[in-house]
Amino acid sequence: MIARIVMSAATLLLLAGCSVAPVAAPRDLEPSPPAPAPTAAVEVPTSSAALGPVREPVPPVRVVIPTIELDVPIEPVGVEPDGELELPENIRVAGWYKYGADPLSATGSTMIAAHLDSLPQGIGPFAALRDVPLGTEIVVATADGGEHRYAVDSVQSIQKTQLPLADLFDRQGAPRVVLVTCGGPWSDALGTYTDNIIVIATPVT
Amino acid sequence: MRNKLIAGAAAGVIAAVGVAVPAQAISASTADLSVLHAVPDLPVDVYVNGELTLDDFQPGDLAGPLDLPAGTYTVAITAATATDDSAPAIGPIDLTLAANTSYTAVAHLDASGTPTATLFTNDLSTIPAGEGKLTVRHTAAAPAVDVLANGTPAFTNLVNPNEVKANLPVGTISASVAATGTTDPVIGPADVQIQEGVNTIVYAWGSLEDENLALAVQTISGLHSTPAGIPAGTGGLVSDQNPTLIGAGIAALIALIAAAGFAVARRTASQSAR
Repeated sequence: MIARIVMSAATLLLLAGCSVAPVAAPRDLEPSPPAPAPTAAVEVPTSSAALGPVREPVPPVRVVIPTIELDVPIEPVGVEPDGELELPENIRVAGWYKYGADPLSATGSTMIAAHLDSLPQGIGPFAALRDVPLGTEIVVATADGGEHRYAVDSVQSIQKTQLPLADLFDRQGAPRVVLVTCGGPWSDALGTYTDNIIVIATPVT
Repeated sequence: MRNKLIAGAAAGVIAAVGVAVPAQAISASTADLSVLHAVPDLPVDVYVNGELTLDDFQPGDLAGPLDLPAGTYTVAITAATATDDSAPAIGPIDLTLAANTSYTAVAHLDASGTPTATLFTNDLSTIPAGEGKLTVRHTAAAPAVDVLANGTPAFTNLVNPNEVKANLPVGTISASVAATGTTDPVIGPADVQIQEGVNTIVYAWGSLEDENLALAVQTISGLHSTPAGIPAGTGGLVSDQNPTLIGAGIAALIALIAAAGFAVARRTASQSAR
């Protein structure tokens, strides 16, 4: 089937190459020059669609804020059945959202969250996040042995009902680290804090 | 209003940190079109509405996505050696593209081996967290097939030029394609990654008779679900009862909330050939 089509195209080319030459002495007949190859009107990105390996994430394993002596190990986490972010029960261990960006991703938020407190365990290390000054250095160690430095860009307390989740969990914007815990007033009615404390830090080279 | 900017630049802090506006996004007036060349051994030129758009397009390659206004486009596919579109190998065919939709046009062999073209619509629906979508399209000169995942049939009796799809847990699948009702692979096994929030579209292409059956892959990302919340505190030991606003002024906070309230609503049909 394919061979047939190629042949027809080639045949067509032969026919196209022969132009109607002006009447002249037979020995003066020359073939006319071939028509110039057409060029594309626009450059369209093209790449091979062959199956190949995809990028493996490089999980963060530890987050350190030297100036406040915060040093917390990190585990990969997903989502709970109710759709909320899963968090390690141990309030001294932080969770990295494993479906989002990691410190080696070219884009997106590396989301790291930890419980503020719990009744049996007391107050956790992430309670200190609310007081972190701008520009504070954050170091995130990754599973490949690397260390990645960031500087705090902002610290915010936002009501959970107004949390811009799609932005916080963004995967395509500028790379950043987002540290989250709870904050604001405790609500007995809700059985939870009403706010999240969000620290956004951007990479420093 | 109690949201507090405890420290940081004034308005729109989250936005200022560079949350992306999708670089390539279908919209209420445009569609996305990718083109897959799945006819073996025949480099081609692709003309759209008479204009040469893809030059010397190689079998097994994926082009695009092109962002196109919704409408009907006439596509002609010629051998790459042709000088114009007067005698196409495939077409001319009219492709109607609706706005807000992602398409892949595939030049491929039909079940009996004749070159043809099929326009597929790509599923951009949101995928639950922790899952990815696998789409399989039969664009090969071969009879009905079963698609096996890790040795057992996941989809059965798939014929050219149909597709099947399902959401699956994130992970690696050893995928193979076999004649319906059999398990002896005619393609693969090959590792296919199910990535979170990604529609991984696998094409079976080539010719069984010519023994050049192969798999091609196209991915569309940005389809993931966002977690519904971050429940990070259950003790009630650190309750901040002070409603006083600290840090920047109210105006800045209002602007921050307005900026923060803008969610990434537009679907990103960003994709790569991997």
